[in-house]
Amino acid sequence: MAEKRITIQATRFDPDKDEKPHLQSYDIPFADESMVVLDALNHIKSYVDGSLSYRWSCRMGICGSCGMMVNGTPKLTCSAFLRDYWPHKITVEPLNNFPVIRDLVIDMDDFMHKLKSVKPWIIRKQEIPLGAGVHRQLPAQVTEFRQFSECINCMLCYSACPVYGLNDKFLGPAAIALARRYNLDSRDQGLKERLPVIAEAEGVWECSFVGECSVVCPKGVDPAKAIQQTKLDTTLRFTLPYGNRD
Amino acid sequence: MRTPVQMSTPPAQRTYSWSMPSAWWTRKRHYLLYVVREFTALPMALWLLWLLYDIKRAGSGPAGFYPSRSVFFVIFSAVCLVFAMYHSYTFLKLAGVIIHVKVLDKPVPPRVIVFMMFGLLAVASIVIGAVLIGFAR
Repeated sequence: MAEKRITIQATRFDPDKDEKPHLQSYDIPFADESMVVLDALNHIKSYVDGSLSYRWSCRMGICGSCGMMVNGTPKLTCSAFLRDYWPHKITVEPLNNFPVIRDLVIDMDDFMHKLKSVKPWIIRKQEIPLGAGVHRQLPAQVTEFRQFSECINCMLCYSACPVYGLNDKFLGPAAIALARRYNLDSRDQGLKERLPVIAEAEGVWECSFVGECSVVCPKGVDPAKAIQQTKLDTTLRFTLPYGNRD
Repeated sequence: MRTPVQMSTPPAQRTYSWSMPSAWWTRKRHYLLYVVREFTALPMALWLLWLLYDIKRAGSGPAGFYPSRSVFFVIFSAVCLVFAMYHSYTFLKLAGVIIHVKVLDKPVPPRVIVFMMFGLLAVASIVIGAVLIGFAR
């Protein structure tokens, strides 16, 4: 019986030689139904073309490193099964909306700066001493922010967002979702430190609710929801007499 | 004594800047629906400007009030009504996502909030319609 094969078209870009990226085709064996796109790239790198560059790490949808455009849709390549595309060819490109460093590797500096700007960590006005014991939270308090804490910073939402594509000053979906995650945390007291970043024109107000960020999120986070809720919250804080609370 | 090693700054890396293609909104149905939703605001704004112009003319007395009855304007108004209803639908559907209400310490399900919003829209439409018909008589 003939060996099952599949064609992978991958973006190639060498900044020292190429003016712009181009696609290169690889015909590889599709030996196992459990193969994912990342396995195909690893096969190409190991047996066909060792110069192909891309990021990956955990292979289990946790680290968020292997996000790429698979047939035009942002996906974690470790979770995109070849069987869902075979016998058609698969086109693998670097994430949209980001500068390309080499082949499938994008420059993520802009996202990293934005992520840091929303201070995605617990901020306390006064730290509780370790001797005071654990900071208890009720299950209902955890439920408030749980969904937003699932974000793995894979940047698929930025890649799917046309607003970010048209204006890279936009703070973006994941950074706002993580800001909301900490603002909703009963242990956190950093809302007023985050507000100047998230409530400005290029924060939540730049979003015109396309909603594709929530569609492509591999972890079921709903960044569009976080952004719209933050719009409502910031409006209430501005308009209601008791709104300027901590 | 050894002198510290001078670290040279690596040359800036050349990257390929990705730019949004002008036909980006044709790539996915979701994008297309979004652009249609945003575009529908334009004819609605034109219709409202027309309405303001009619109101201004009516300010000079009954003689100045002669609303357009042309076929074009009636069709345009019907199209704008469809656009307005589409906008209302997308906006009220959003209410379930953004509004968090708790009753007896339990969150109200989004679908109940959306249902209530559509109910309020229906009630408001009936009341406004009744008032307008009442004035017309």
